[in-house]
Amino acid sequence: MKDEERQGPDPSDLELVQRGRSGDDAALGALAKRHHAAAYRVALSFVREDDLAQDVVQDAFLKAFRALGEFRADASFRTWLLTITANEAKGALRRKGRRRETALEDASEVRSEGGGPAHDAMMRDEASRARRMLEQLPEKQRLSVTLRIEEGLSFKEIGEVIGSSEGAARANYFHGIRRLRELME
Amino acid sequence: MNDTECGTVRELIPDFVGSRLAAEEVERVEGHVQACAECLAELELAQVLLASRASVPEELLERIMRNSVTERSAPARTWWGVSAAAIAALALGIGITSDPAQELPVEVPGFAYEAEEGEIWSSEDGLLAGAPALDELSDEALLQLLDELTVGSAGGSA
Ligand SMILES: [Zn+2]
Repeated sequence: MKDEERQGPDPSDLELVQRGRSGDDAALGALAKRHHAAAYRVALSFVREDDLAQDVVQDAFLKAFRALGEFRADASFRTWLLTITANEAKGALRRKGRRRETALEDASEVRSEGGGPAHDAMMRDEASRARRMLEQLPEKQRLSVTLRIEEGLSFKEIGEVIGSSEGAARANYFHGIRRLRELME
Repeated sequence: MNDTECGTVRELIPDFVGSRLAAEEVERVEGHVQACAECLAELELAQVLLASRASVPEELLERIMRNSVTERSAPARTWWGVSAAAIAALALGIGITSDPAQELPVEVPGFAYEAEEGEIWSSEDGLLAGAPALDELSDEALLQLLDELTVGSAGGSA
């Protein structure tokens, strides 16, 4: 969440939202910079395809920015954005009429972060296996695991994104982790 | 290994691999997994998942800046344009339609859950054999299931 290029304390998301509402494009840019990676991974976990995931994220930001007036000050911009992103992604999947089985063929287009030179082949095998298993989890479990581990969201935040209670988000996460461990064995 | 400690450590694992824990919590996790194979396996899985997360394409931020940031005010301009035209038409005594769809070309951005709500989270929970349909469970049932899961896995080789 740090922004190295900025001097002084980072403005909160709420401050940026308020500035954005009064037409400050730079504030919106800062919100995008802060949250586009999480939105991209959420989109990707649905559509499995880089191009489409990028389209989804752009649409989600556009929608969020246009609806800033409806954003409640007591809400989290991040969970709000990720909720919009998840629903945009589902809409995109529906429009394309794609099933997850066929989308799996596109999985190779997506680059993985851990692909540097220091990354040995064994780790890569393990990682791609874990990815494939993750993709097989039911939607809420997959999202809960992705958001908790990859994005560091709390169960309360995850609950907001997946439309469940905090307890249900926690159960989905641990159930997903358990399934992954079984599948990986 | 005691189940309560396993439960606590497993709650901490995502923040441990994400380097979001305070020093004493880091020590607590590290100390525990030295003696608990189950929690160590879970920690390693979390590390693998984090390390293999998708990298974000460099062009994405630029695309958002170019499209989402600049375009978001476009409908507002259209709306004012139409309003001005409507006012002008009114001033000239030209009849204009009262169809609100025409007067309001702006799609008022709804909240995230649009009309598709019914379809949202259409469950794929049946995909895995033996995976219970969590959606249909009450929170209490889910929490009970969670208790069984954590106790069940913690009681293994630990
Ligand atoms: Zn343990």
